[in-house]
Amino acid sequence: METEDDLCQQTNWGSSSSKLQEQGSSDGGGNQAFSGFTSEQKWEEASILDYEMDGVEPDLQVFDEMKASGEENVQANVDFLQGVRAQAWDPSTMLSNLSFMEQKIHELQELVHLLVGRGEQVQGCQDELAAQQQQQLITTDLTSIIIQLISTAGSLLPSVKHNMSTAPGPYTGQPGSAMFPCAREANNVASQSQNNNNCGAQEFDLPKAVVVDERESHVVEEHEMKDEDDAEEGENLPPGSYEILQLEKEEILAPHTHFCTICGKGFKRDANLRMHMRGHGDEYKTAAALAKPNKESIPGSEPMLIKRYSCPFLGCKRNKEHRKFQPLKTILCVKNHYKRTHCDKSFTCSRCHTKKFSVIADLKTHEKHCGKNKWLCSCGTTFSRKDKLFGHIALFQGHTPAIPIEETKPSASSSTQRENSEGGNNNQGMVGFNLGSPSNANQETAQFGMMDGNISFEDSFSPMNFETCSFGGFHDFPRLMFDDSDSSFQTLIANTCGFSSPRNVGESVLDTSI
Amino acid sequence: MSMSTSILSVLSEDLLVRVYECLDPPCRKTWRLISKEFLRVDSLTRTTIRILRVEFLPALLLKYPNLSSLDLSVCPKLDDDVVLRLAMDGTVSTLRIKSLNLSRSTAVRARGLETLARMCHALERVDVSHCWGFGDREAAALSSAKGLRELKMDKCLSLSDVGLARIVVGCSNLNKISLKWCMEISDLGIDLLCKICKGLKSLDVSYLKVTNDSIRSIALLPKLEVLDMVSCPLIDDVGLRILENGSPSLQEIDVTRCERVSLSSLICIVRGHPDIQVLKASHCVSEVSGSFLGYIKGLKRLKAIWIDGARVSDSSLVTLSSSCRSLMEIGMSRCVDVTDIGMMALARNCLNLKTVNLACCGFVTDVAISALAQTCRTLETLKLESCHLITEKGLQSLGCYSKLLQELDLTDCCGVNDRGLEYISKCSNLERLKLGLCTNISDKGIFHIGSKCSKLLELDLYRCAGFGDDGLAALSRGCKSLNRLILSYCSELTDFGVEQIRQLEHLSHLELRGLKNITGVGLAAIACGCKKLGYLDLKLCENIDDSGFWALAYFSRNLRQINLCNCSVSDTALCMLMSNLSRVQDVDLVHLNRVTVEGFEFALRACCNRLKKLKLLAPLRFLLSSELLEMLHARGCRIRWD
Repeated sequence: METEDDLCQQTNWGSSSSKLQEQGSSDGGGNQAFSGFTSEQKWEEASILDYEMDGVEPDLQVFDEMKASGEENVQANVDFLQGVRAQAWDPSTMLSNLSFMEQKIHELQELVHLLVGRGEQVQGCQDELAAQQQQQLITTDLTSIIIQLISTAGSLLPSVKHNMSTAPGPYTGQPGSAMFPCAREANNVASQSQNNNNCGAQEFDLPKAVVVDERESHVVEEHEMKDEDDAEEGENLPPGSYEILQLEKEEILAPHTHFCTICGKGFKRDANLRMHMRGHGDEYKTAAALAKPNKESIPGSEPMLIKRYSCPFLGCKRNKEHRKFQPLKTILCVKNHYKRTHCDKSFTCSRCHTKKFSVIADLKTHEKHCGKNKWLCSCGTTFSRKDKLFGHIALFQGHTPAIPIEETKPSASSSTQRENSEGGNNNQGMVGFNLGSPSNANQETAQFGMMDGNISFEDSFSPMNFETCSFGGFHDFPRLMFDDSDSSFQTLIANTCGFSSPRNVGESVLDTSI
Repeated sequence: MSMSTSILSVLSEDLLVRVYECLDPPCRKTWRLISKEFLRVDSLTRTTIRILRVEFLPALLLKYPNLSSLDLSVCPKLDDDVVLRLAMDGTVSTLRIKSLNLSRSTAVRARGLETLARMCHALERVDVSHCWGFGDREAAALSSAKGLRELKMDKCLSLSDVGLARIVVGCSNLNKISLKWCMEISDLGIDLLCKICKGLKSLDVSYLKVTNDSIRSIALLPKLEVLDMVSCPLIDDVGLRILENGSPSLQEIDVTRCERVSLSSLICIVRGHPDIQVLKASHCVSEVSGSFLGYIKGLKRLKAIWIDGARVSDSSLVTLSSSCRSLMEIGMSRCVDVTDIGMMALARNCLNLKTVNLACCGFVTDVAISALAQTCRTLETLKLESCHLITEKGLQSLGCYSKLLQELDLTDCCGVNDRGLEYISKCSNLERLKLGLCTNISDKGIFHIGSKCSKLLELDLYRCAGFGDDGLAALSRGCKSLNRLILSYCSELTDFGVEQIRQLEHLSHLELRGLKNITGVGLAAIACGCKKLGYLDLKLCENIDDSGFWALAYFSRNLRQINLCNCSVSDTALCMLMSNLSRVQDVDLVHLNRVTVEGFEFALRACCNRLKKLKLLAPLRFLLSSELLEMLHARGCRIRWD
């Protein structure tokens, strides 16, 4: 599969990428696409500076495959950066960003493909050390691409406001050369603004920014633990062993608690904000900027008192004034509890239009199951699960599961009946055609009142009564009831000689049998 | 005339009833014709009836006021409308009906069932097996029969837990239920059944995908006596062990083909239930071990044991037979290790054996058979299929000693010859005889059977190519009560012999597959003579012309099932057959070269309101009109596309 050149390249894996880069740039004069690649490589390098990767292994195979789209790629990058800087709500920018992401994902895919192929090869050559090095290099390469992807994805979110001062990069010149200094610059500016929090760019008055930051970290943490339930009856902390915090109603109901210091966009989670910040410049892409703010404060600091929360609603069991106060574990619990217990249920299920919820996640959970698996008991109670229904039935004497009424499906009966109505009742041939019609078999849908004698036999055309129709007033019961429909021997002999179409045959038999 | 009246005046009615009760069904027909008094006795005494033409039902219900059991399983045209009309007829009294057989009545659905359930207040037993379209709705309809005690719902394919729950809640006095092949039933349904129907005595959960949880529920049934769970793939030893301390009344258990069940859990069951009478464990245990035999010893009341397919050594058979001396039935088919030594011990110890199945036990010889015949004088059923070492000597002792033998299966026993048949013919009570693939028998042997076995009801001569027309003539003369005769691939037979079959007026099942020499003349004679014929297989009878089929269409009004594959039937004859055979329900119509698509269309239209099963060539699926196919489907007809 792989060419000898490729194999040669692979023997060089151990050498530093900068060397290879030099090699690339020296060779690149003649090769337009390759130079395009190297410049891109630099750009990547810039973005992953903080991850201590001084180079990315050049994957020649990937280069070759990228050759064709090299120019385009670069163009897309420019567009992407412009999109980030301009921050204008522009569908075309959005589109180009998206296509850039697509391309990146493809690169990532190809890389993984290579990884697989190479893994086998490495096994073959038995060189442990080289294999390890390769693996490391590939991992770093992967990381850089992933990070790039995330930052691009962040830029897709429309911003409220844009700040041109953070993007002073010149766009002029060659597309290949233009963006890289620009990216670097942006990075520098961003890191500056991060270091100096009172920078002029920060013009947003964040409500209790510090407090918010602190709590925010808790929310994220708890969310990761999947602890969304506000019922923690099992927890029996002695009073005083924890610190009680109480948020105000407005605070609880605020849609966003984290705001971008640059553009003012609000976020529910700190992590999302941090992801967003990356779009504002390279200085936000550093490991320090991405880390959880409280992570570094924990080691070394004194053991913190456990935090528990109280509901601001007076009289609530979750309010600290309550006699049997049960604290809420996390901010998220507070929010959900407050909305569920003390707010209007404003979200109505779009399927059943009866169930209402105040927490949108509850609505979504309900909608997933609404309408499906309705296990119904004869007493009218519905169950979401079959075993619950059966438990109910076993418990209450006389209760039985109800069988849902089937919707009538368009079948043979309806079609033949339609034919009947079209043909008119005076057309005996058509009636005869109903010989063996399954209409009666399909009429079974919930006609449970038939014992009351409300059935009109004129309506149902069945093999039993086709003769009745033909004979009109002939109502001798046994004959009507059990017509044997044995056509006589001679009749059939006369009729079977030539069939034109089945329908005609049916008619002719009936006519002669009459 | 005056003479007969005087006799009647002597015999009082209750004496007549007693005499009547001793008669066989064919004689009862004659009885009815003697006089009005005798007819009255017949009509008052009759409690069960099986009818083919539902149109006579109202009249019959009036005529026989004491009917308690009604079998409608072979009525081809029974459907909801018929039932409704019956219900509307005020003169029909169904109040005494206790047992209703609606097996294979696929055209009766929920409406009809509910009407029936309401009409028959005293209903106790219902059989709706093989109504494959039945589901929850039908179950709900059935549940209105509050007094139901026995219910058979085998192969009601759409029946789910919900339907079962309806029945369980509606008929909580159930003591017997069979749910074989109701594949939708799960543990939940079984659990509810066991919780509510505490009086359940017999339960069949064969082939269901139920797990050990079901066993846990079943173990709580205090009165359960019979438990069938053939081929339950999810039940294993852990589940069966629960039964050790559960279901205290258990007497019969069938775990045949439960692939995850082994001997260890059977031991547990045996340990927990010393009164167990029937133990069926065919094809699930690989070996009969010493420890198992140790526990078997404790079962003083064991009557039947099936261990087909297990490795049974002679020594273990000796132990088994010496510990269970009251054994009446033993199934050891495919127990290839069984030899004469073990069999002789079995014969010596178990004198009450009535049924012995030794199919495919290749090492069993005449010695074993002689021992069995000499000591077990009450032997009624003996299955020796593929026991190649059996010769005339073994059959000689059977003929000498086993006077009560009713069923003998000698299929594929190449040692059977004319002399052997002569010996067998001395078993004058023989009712069922299977001689398939015994190629060494000729007219001479068949002549002996025909002349002496007058009680024979079933005879299987599949691929016995050695005998011909003369033998068949002797059979037709001698075995007048024969109702099932298999002559497939007896290639010597011609019209002359087949014509003789017409003398067998009770014949209801006839297989003539692959008889190339018979023509329309032979078939016409059969059709004319055997009026009770219900099943006819004419596959590969290529030389039967239309005259034969026309005669069939004209005479065989009771025919329910017919196989016409590869016959040279014409369009006209097929249409004739299908429209005139007004009881036909199951038809195989594959490879009919002379029949056109129009022919099929018309023939099927003529009978589509009564067909329940149909086999056709696959291409016809697209050639036949969709209306026809929909009609067939709506009437509950199942089509197999070949």
